[in-house]
Amino acid sequence: MSRPVLLEEPRSSAQRRQWTRWRRLCQALVALFYLLLPWLNVHGYRQVVGTLASLKIGSLDLTEPAAGLAAALGAGRVSVVLLVGVAPVVGLALLAGPVFCSWVCPWGLLSEGVDRLHQRLLPRPWRERAWVRVRTVRWAMLAAALLLGGLLAMPLAAVISAPRLITSLPLEVIYLRILSPVTAGLLLALLALEVFGPRRLWCRALCPVGALANYLRFPKTLAVRFAPERCLCPRLPLCHLHCPWGIDPRQAGRFDGCSNCLACVDGCPSGALTVGWGSPVGRQSRPRDDS
Amino acid sequence: MGAKGMRSSRLAWLRALFAAPPLRPPGARPEREFAALCIRCGRCGAVCPYRSLVPAGWEYGSAAGTPVVIPRSVPCYLCMECPPVCPSGALDPITDKRAVRMGFAEVNPDTCYAFLGILCRTCVDECPLGEAALIQDGQLRPVVLEGCVGCGICEKVCPTLEPAIVVRAATGGVRP
Repeated sequence: MSRPVLLEEPRSSAQRRQWTRWRRLCQALVALFYLLLPWLNVHGYRQVVGTLASLKIGSLDLTEPAAGLAAALGAGRVSVVLLVGVAPVVGLALLAGPVFCSWVCPWGLLSEGVDRLHQRLLPRPWRERAWVRVRTVRWAMLAAALLLGGLLAMPLAAVISAPRLITSLPLEVIYLRILSPVTAGLLLALLALEVFGPRRLWCRALCPVGALANYLRFPKTLAVRFAPERCLCPRLPLCHLHCPWGIDPRQAGRFDGCSNCLACVDGCPSGALTVGWGSPVGRQSRPRDDS
Repeated sequence: MGAKGMRSSRLAWLRALFAAPPLRPPGARPEREFAALCIRCGRCGAVCPYRSLVPAGWEYGSAAGTPVVIPRSVPCYLCMECPPVCPSGALDPITDKRAVRMGFAEVNPDTCYAFLGILCRTCVDECPLGEAALIQDGQLRPVVLEGCVGCGICEKVCPTLEPAIVVRAATGGVRP
């Protein structure tokens, strides 16, 4: 829309929460699915099996690309099964960026919850701890996980993956009736990082799953778009405050980690942010009055 | 069998420090390749109706979390459900149980009842591969043959306190 609008009537709070509501529903359904799946397996239904590392639905294979890449690097070969399983998930990342992180991943849901508790319960120094700058850390961590995994001949990116671990836990506890010290130990370590570490460090900087999806992104994808002429809050952007990833949506580039959670779109009072097909905002349309 | 085809891992010594090679699900690639390919997705474990496949513990080092069979707990009943569901190629999608090469059973003549003169043919009766894998000799003692695939049922059913027949894990791979 190129229609110049200087002042729009403020949207109602119900309107402003709509994307987040759908997202919470989506996250909750995925979490519920992975809690109920082992129970179905217990009762003899095994057409659908797996975790977020890889899920089999009838004859459809869905394999998480970072795990697949790690396995291929560690073994020095790629199987056709793996390529077929990875394809749909890679396709989603190409077209929509790391939407997995904010719409699907149960660890993401947990992480957002912990972050919210931090904001509410903890004293100011905790709350105000700065976001870690992740632009370089993120790809460096992905590369390190893949390299180290290759060296150790193990798919490290899959082993430490929080989305896999948090879906493996119910499978092992409900179906196998054991509490694996490996799964439980790694999950506790990740939870400790979530509680005591910098805000949402795992999701934003360390997770190989999210990082790979982030860097797979096409130049033009499903993305948040910014109309600077509509923006009403250049000094204290509400969208930036609303972003659960600490990104300023008005300046976010292609690889800055935006996972299309659309909290910024919900939080924008003036309608300057919309979601649509195109390049992420990028630096070319940075508002001129900012700094 | 044998070390042929097994490339030594750069850090194989590290794994050797921790635990003996575990018994893998049917169709498993050679150990090093298996640990590298297995993405710990849990599909094989969830599709196993007997809950035979449990995640390996920390003592397996870089193979921690991969599926192992602990025969004395639950052996593999060779239903062949798991090989086709593996998404990463860590398990070859075989469906013929005679092609499995998980390991090879060994009888301990010092503790086996039959060797001590007590009439016992539990393992021979329970072996899912029958005469191809486990038979009795002239003195009614169990003899493991080439057809043994290492499922571990004999180890599970052995009535001695410490099993007198134990499966030694193969280096892996599928029988040609």
